[in-house]
Amino acid sequence: MTAKLRIIHLVDDTTPGGLMRVIDLMTNSPELTQMAQQMVRIVGRGEALPQCDADVVISHLTINWRSLPRLIAFRARHSGVQLYHVEHSYTEGFTAHNVPFKARFFTLLRTAYALFDRVIAVSSAQADWLRRRGLVRSTRLTVIRSRVSLDPFFDLPAPEGPVRVLGAIGRLDRQKGFDVLIKAFRTLPDPDLRLHVYGSGSEETALKALAHGDTRIRFFGYVSDPVEAMAAVDLVVMPSRWESFGLVALEARAARRPLLYADVDGLHESGAGAAFVKGHDPEVWALALENQIYGKARCVPASPKQQDIGLDWSTLLQSLTLDKGRPGLQQSAA
Amino acid sequence: MPYASIIVPAFNSVETLPQTLLSLRSQTFRDFEIIVVNDGSTDDTARVAAEAAKLDHRIRLVEQGNRGLAGARNSGIAAASGVVVGLCDADDLWMPEKLAAHVGHLAVAPHVGLSYTGSALINYAGQRIGHAQRPKLYGVTASHVFKRNPIGNGSAPVFRRAALEALAYRPHGETERDWVFDETFRQSEDIECWLRLCLTTDWSLEGVPGLLTEYRLSAGGLSARTDAQLAAWERMVSKLRPTAPDFFARHENAARAYQLRYLARRAVTGGDGAAAMDYLRRALRLSKTPLFEEPLRTLTTVAAAVTVEHLGRDPMQLLSYLRPRAGS
Repeated sequence: MTAKLRIIHLVDDTTPGGLMRVIDLMTNSPELTQMAQQMVRIVGRGEALPQCDADVVISHLTINWRSLPRLIAFRARHSGVQLYHVEHSYTEGFTAHNVPFKARFFTLLRTAYALFDRVIAVSSAQADWLRRRGLVRSTRLTVIRSRVSLDPFFDLPAPEGPVRVLGAIGRLDRQKGFDVLIKAFRTLPDPDLRLHVYGSGSEETALKALAHGDTRIRFFGYVSDPVEAMAAVDLVVMPSRWESFGLVALEARAARRPLLYADVDGLHESGAGAAFVKGHDPEVWALALENQIYGKARCVPASPKQQDIGLDWSTLLQSLTLDKGRPGLQQSAA
Repeated sequence: MPYASIIVPAFNSVETLPQTLLSLRSQTFRDFEIIVVNDGSTDDTARVAAEAAKLDHRIRLVEQGNRGLAGARNSGIAAASGVVVGLCDADDLWMPEKLAAHVGHLAVAPHVGLSYTGSALINYAGQRIGHAQRPKLYGVTASHVFKRNPIGNGSAPVFRRAALEALAYRPHGETERDWVFDETFRQSEDIECWLRLCLTTDWSLEGVPGLLTEYRLSAGGLSARTDAQLAAWERMVSKLRPTAPDFFARHENAARAYQLRYLARRAVTGGDGAAAMDYLRRALRLSKTPLFEEPLRTLTTVAAAVTVEHLGRDPMQLLSYLRPRAGS
């Protein structure tokens, strides 16, 4: 029997959200636990990266110019270690909306990704973009779609009767596009409709101002249990401006909720089968909402397969366990 | 399949189309097709294009009922097969090196989706009048496009096909082909398209040096009606605002001030001093940005507006006679 791989996850964003739940699923995955011993190291945004005594280091770090020197130093100090990077943030849509000097940004990504033995895209759309833009060589690129534990969502009863409560679930950030949703919702005259907003963030005040005067819209703040939010809504709306994957879409499908999402980046994969809207025109969104609410073209997407993210990862890491007999890795393991 | 496609939207262009086609056929980069889109002309445009197509097999004619400039460009783009796609209105001209310059530029700058050049302005007779659009070429961002529109006119840009594909969409009710330009616009369709490229795709815009486009000024054309122009511009802003609300919150007033300053200049040209002063007052009340970023141009506009308002058009016309003329 081969020795277990030692994996260290590096994380610099511990704010409640998808990322920590994805990592939780990995560290608890039976497949991965069987082949590897995993540890999570939290690093501060500005500080140097720690010395990692491991076979594989999986970076979930945010790449930017300021952190590039510490990544280079880290690579130099870990020449015998397999360094993987999971790109949780950047996509085509992110670049369009946030990057004024696109060529410079691509140079940053190309430089940073070159430090890693492998880059993992969280959706095929993101991988296509990384390849198309020449940011990662195809031979070093793998797609492992993000996952969280969906069991509690599968357990929720499917909503019955007409759609009454629309749900906006996620950080209250420009990224999520809830401003578009509130504007669109306000044009719907039906007094029996409700819009529930779950989450907190920098846009909270602005969104509340947008919703002011419409008592059908309620803000619930951040809820620690996303299942609770999902249970309370009949239709999930995701007008995101960019989204590397979009876990909420996956959860909505698992909970058999109808879903309406914006046609950006990886949402086509997480929201597969659901209705979508191109662009962020509130009028177009209002029309699409009506179609979903009054059943004119309602479509409840098929539930996603409960596929363990650990399985994808263990397949990827399999080749390393086979290699573990090789002198290079043995040395670093010694 | 040709490497490049040049789309020529043509509406009642019988006078100017032959000259335009000649300038395109004379390109030093020769692997291209020319797609003339006859946008429901009521004159002999179709015959002129068909005759040209007989002379040069790189020319193709696409016919459609009148859908406007944006619609004609969209039809041309749908018919184009090149990996590089340029636009040239049927009254403008390309300098012989233009296509070669853009093809070279796009080949060495993979992040660039739209390549453009400066333009020399020509009169009805096709002579340069000594004015030119000399835009910023490098480091152009969405805010710069919004405020100063470096592309300048619809015959300047050459696209990479992938960038056009990123822009394309199929609006409700359209059954034939995608839209790249928004056909609901009869003015401001250009800036709407360029800005949408900046705000919704990850493609960059960059210029190549030189005045490689000749852009014809029409005396009584669409661009003369300044109030309608402003309304179209405002509709463009309302359309794109939900896409990037914070971008518009930050730059909208400055861009509007620039737009009003531009309309003031149009009013000066049209001899309407009062309207020019009104536009300028509104511009500077909204934002001082044009005054800080381009003090000389802004103050010249003020001076011209004051002169026209008090002394009429004659002094301005006299000045324009005194201008040195390029190429003469």
